[in-house]
Amino acid sequence: MFLMSDLKNRKVVFYLFLVYNCALKLSGRTSVNKTISLWGQSLYRQFSLMLANQPKLGYYLHPLLNWNKPALHPDYHSARVVDFCWETEQMLSVWLEPASSWAGFTPGQHLLVTMLHKGRYISRSFSISSSSALFAQQKQIRISCRIQPQGEFTKALAADISKLTHLSISDAMGDFVLATTADTALEKSIVMVAAGSGITPLWSMLSSLRCWTSPVVLFYCVKNTAQAAFLTELKLLAAKQPLFELQLIETAAAGRLNLVQHLKAKAGFSLTKSLYYFCGPAAMSRQYKDDLIQQGVSSTAIHAELFGLAVTAAEGPVKQALFMQQGKVTTVEAAAGVPLLQAAEHQGLTPRFGCRIGVCYQCVCQKKSGQVLNLRTGQISGDGPEQIQLCISAAHSNLQIEL
Amino acid sequence: MKLTEQQLSELAAELDQVKAGVMSQLGDKEARYIRRMLLTQRLSAISGRVLMVLGFITPWLWVLGVALLALAKILDNMEIGHNVLHGQYDWMNDPVLHSQRFEWDIACDAGSWKRTHNFEHHTYTNIIGKDRDFGYGLLRLSNDFRWRLRNLWQFVTYLVLSTLFQWGVSYHELAGERVFFGKKKPDRVNSVSHTDLKKAFFGKGARQLFKDYVFFPLIAGPMWLWVLTGNLLANIIRNLWTSTVIFCGHFTADVHTFTQQQCEGESRGHWYYRQILGSSNFTGPRWFHILTGHLSCQIEHHLFPDMPALHYLTVAPQVQAIAKKYGIAYNSGSFLRQYATVVARIIRYSFPGGRATTV
Repeated sequence: MFLMSDLKNRKVVFYLFLVYNCALKLSGRTSVNKTISLWGQSLYRQFSLMLANQPKLGYYLHPLLNWNKPALHPDYHSARVVDFCWETEQMLSVWLEPASSWAGFTPGQHLLVTMLHKGRYISRSFSISSSSALFAQQKQIRISCRIQPQGEFTKALAADISKLTHLSISDAMGDFVLATTADTALEKSIVMVAAGSGITPLWSMLSSLRCWTSPVVLFYCVKNTAQAAFLTELKLLAAKQPLFELQLIETAAAGRLNLVQHLKAKAGFSLTKSLYYFCGPAAMSRQYKDDLIQQGVSSTAIHAELFGLAVTAAEGPVKQALFMQQGKVTTVEAAAGVPLLQAAEHQGLTPRFGCRIGVCYQCVCQKKSGQVLNLRTGQISGDGPEQIQLCISAAHSNLQIEL
Repeated sequence: MKLTEQQLSELAAELDQVKAGVMSQLGDKEARYIRRMLLTQRLSAISGRVLMVLGFITPWLWVLGVALLALAKILDNMEIGHNVLHGQYDWMNDPVLHSQRFEWDIACDAGSWKRTHNFEHHTYTNIIGKDRDFGYGLLRLSNDFRWRLRNLWQFVTYLVLSTLFQWGVSYHELAGERVFFGKKKPDRVNSVSHTDLKKAFFGKGARQLFKDYVFFPLIAGPMWLWVLTGNLLANIIRNLWTSTVIFCGHFTADVHTFTQQQCEGESRGHWYYRQILGSSNFTGPRWFHILTGHLSCQIEHHLFPDMPALHYLTVAPQVQAIAKKYGIAYNSGSFLRQYATVVARIIRYSFPGGRATTV
């Protein structure tokens, strides 16, 4: 009985949808087009669930269509590994040829790279370090990654790179891109600061620039010259392009860069008439931003890309876990060795749970960042996004968890 | 034989070690295996549905189609679905194979299954009054339960349950929560509202019915009756198979039950002990194990529910040796022998009396 009424409802809904669709097509209003597309999506979802028990048919067909491409993650695009080289002792560059489904990028953007390592998908985000010209002409992009000895992904990438044929990549993301020409027409100069591997998005921007309209100064902070990637190319650009100035800061010898002091010493330079692009550890960018704002620079002129260096365990045994539940964020004090589930409940949260001994997988949820200790195996996780069992995981560093 | 707490903790340590030995080695081999299963399942599902329509050339094609679709449903439910929903492949971080996202080709909603099976059944295995999987509230399988008149015809009840097994599984949680009938038991804490339970039950059930009995017959055109009958048969074959496998894993003659007092605040060692005594294995060739989703190694499955199932066969000798060392009965036999004892058990307890199987 229920089924009959359900089917009838569905039919009615479907016809209503068709009529509605036609009427709106005629009136041609965009806001309603959005409604249609939402309806279409939900209809498709229902259809796919009915037919294949998957939210999209792609998930059902993936094992079939890509049976010979296990490295292809069903949510992402395939990318062929074309070549690789070591920029420095610690920085590995990989040239990729994305599948035609990949939409391209704006220099400065990053993407999530996923690889299959020991049967497991692991992901990490990287800035694209190649120019838009390389993609336009050869359909290739390059990512450059500093190999972290503690990092799960980069270590696996370095170990597997010689036999890797494919990686999976997400769409390019992020708004760390050069301001459009409309802004730069005000003859503003551009100041860039790169720390270590933070050079990657900035080098992508610089090597993509076709018509130089304003002066650019790049402060490139590295421990010593041996660790500076793309140095030859940067020097070449500085020699060729009069508007570009390269300032290499060797922090091992010269100490940390004092940006404001440096800029003030420059002849004919106005702090407030510049655009700023920082890429490096969060603490560095925050410091420079604060200094500049104190000097009267508007915060809209400052762009920063923070990258996650390997998470260092927070001091002391108590860590902070941020639990996000439908947009609401709760901070939970998570003591070492205490299951996160217990810590969260102590704070008044009610995550889904079951056996509480690691058997039933009811409490699995998405960890967005940070490292956890598996209390049953004693293993310490990577610091990227992954699913964890709350009842047998304890905080090993500060965490972000989505309930 | 009763084990001391000291012995139990030693038992736990030894079993933990067996598990760690496998879990630390997980990698390409297991990933390739389960992906190959997925591929086989997709191929047999799609070719089965196509061949059924081609039955107009010769009915043998239809027969082959039904067999392939039944195979696809069995693989989807047993070797893939049941194991994936246990989180056995969560480490692969693959959205198609993750316990949180997986949904299967059966009337039962995956979320409901994870609550009643992964949590209730696997945590409280064979504790009378806590594990409703022991007899499903329909069958009297030991003298721990009072005899009622309806137990007289419980063999027929069993046959009906087996034939409609997917619906029994799907209704299981709603029955426990007394959603439609009966008074709610005071000690049950429900984590999901009745509305959500009903929504999942009807939603999933309707989708499954629509697919097999409306959508595919409709697009088969003149062959609609063949397709509809074929789908019905494939579903019934799957139902009978899954039910038989599960009964042989839990209701054989020597499977033990436990009282709630015995298990209050139990140690991990006692939990392991209970899992060994509460399950039974049966033997067979390799393909047979795959069709059972390796539930032919029910004991190993109950000890290590989140270990990729293909390893149950490799750890079984170690588990058997450990069980022997501690004098715990390890219940294993041929499929036919085990099934015969299941039938005997159902029939024996149709009548009053008999022995209680609590340890």
